[in-house]
Amino acid sequence: MLPQTASTPPRILGLYHEPMWRLLKETGHLHLQCCSSCGTWRYPPGPVCQSCLSPEYEWKPTSGGGELLSWIVFHRQYLPAYPAPYNVIAVRLDEGPTMISNLIGEVRQEGLIGRRVRLKVVAMEDGVALPRFELAD
Amino acid sequence: MSMGKRVAAVIGVGHTDWVTDWNRVRAGERPDDSYGYAAAAFRNALADANINRDQIDGLIVGPTIAYERMAEILHMNVRWGDQADAVLSVVQACMAIECGLAKVVALVYGNDQRSVGTQYGGPQAMGGDLFLSYVYHAPWGMTSQGALYAMMFRRYAELYGVTERDLGHVAVAQREGASLNPNAIQRKRITVEDYLAAPYITEPLRLFDYCLINDGGVALIIAEAEIARRLSPKPVYIEAVGRYDLNTGATSLEPRLTEFYRPAQEAVAEQVFGETGLDPSDIDVFQVYDSFSVHVPLALEGYGYCKVGEVGKFLREEGIGLGGKLPTNTSGGHLSETYMQGWNHQIECVRQLRGECGERQIENCRRVHYSSDVAGKAVSVIYGV
Repeated sequence: MLPQTASTPPRILGLYHEPMWRLLKETGHLHLQCCSSCGTWRYPPGPVCQSCLSPEYEWKPTSGGGELLSWIVFHRQYLPAYPAPYNVIAVRLDEGPTMISNLIGEVRQEGLIGRRVRLKVVAMEDGVALPRFELAD
Repeated sequence: MSMGKRVAAVIGVGHTDWVTDWNRVRAGERPDDSYGYAAAAFRNALADANINRDQIDGLIVGPTIAYERMAEILHMNVRWGDQADAVLSVVQACMAIECGLAKVVALVYGNDQRSVGTQYGGPQAMGGDLFLSYVYHAPWGMTSQGALYAMMFRRYAELYGVTERDLGHVAVAQREGASLNPNAIQRKRITVEDYLAAPYITEPLRLFDYCLINDGGVALIIAEAEIARRLSPKPVYIEAVGRYDLNTGATSLEPRLTEFYRPAQEAVAEQVFGETGLDPSDIDVFQVYDSFSVHVPLALEGYGYCKVGEVGKFLREEGIGLGGKLPTNTSGGHLSETYMQGWNHQIECVRQLRGECGERQIENCRRVHYSSDVAGKAVSVIYGV
């Protein structure tokens, strides 16, 4: 029997989400909607700016920098692509929004919360490009 | 809505035999379905209220069952009907009564979540259609509501110096109540050492931080205050209700990670304590929606039972057990009694105020505060006699 490739768990791929994933794969950079009217960045993607309600926006590349807000370790498997143990982190992007992701490397270390992180695009087994983070310093 | 006057009262409560059904389901049986559990609880609530079905003119059903089918099964045509979760059912019953839309309202709930294997984590996580955060982060392996609370607690613990040992006092205290509650599923007492020795599910949360998953039903009968006084020897009044929702940034967990639901709970505290002239020192028993233990310390701080940043000390030194400063989730709650999604807490509020709780009864219980803060939607009810 051929080895099975575990699929990346399903992404939400609505009208406003699809361009984010496509641009990530095509360019290797996380692009988010930036409001043309007031400059506020948006994540998750959506129809209007949460700050000024303007529907006008541009997809712009983010800096990839952020600060680690919190972390957890799953000790139970819920998804075929994620055998336990594995970590999940929350990152405040320098552009403002908070993003849930994974840390490449060990999370069980003192003083992790507040550390600087840098976005790294990882290719999953099934070809999905996934934004993850590594410590920046 | 802070009423400041007594609009409505609970005149009847009922539930299914959670312990027997737990054992039957674990033996491979399906004792009933969600509608059957709800119907059984409704029969018991009618008997407790000592009224008959024809005296009811309003019906609210829980979110796990369809309104029309439930009403059809109970053979009830009503003047007013609705569908809501536990705490909002109580609020909506009060609103309907205050507006003159109904006089006597039945609230019914049933859930066969254990016997049908309802999934709260993984690709088909329950609630993902209502709360995007439950499914949005699946590509990174982040599903299950426990994981969301683990993420929240990690940051909270880091900022305020609360330890995993401090959190353990929640599960230990609730198990003490459950040990004296014949309706509780998990009755064996545990210590903080037992808590710490149990495996992590999503670190930093352990086995005893998670609620049970079991089958069952709950029903309540709420009547307009004058009618309640006429029908019931011991009505339990709804003194105040309040609500405030944090929605901005919800999918990215902002309300959890930056302010720990506190602005919502403070806004609700103003509603339920402000206009009624009550304050936290008037509360004899606290009941908190506890799908995870983490809800309890957040609510203790959010409602002003202790100062922000001092909940670790409060749990260690003042205590939330039966003999503690603020007895909390005295039945065992979702962690140890039964996971009826907030409905079992309403029954415990009523029974503590009626003085029917036997060995776990808190003496001179005059006012009970129930708090729910699921996904940053804070709702409170103050019950009193």
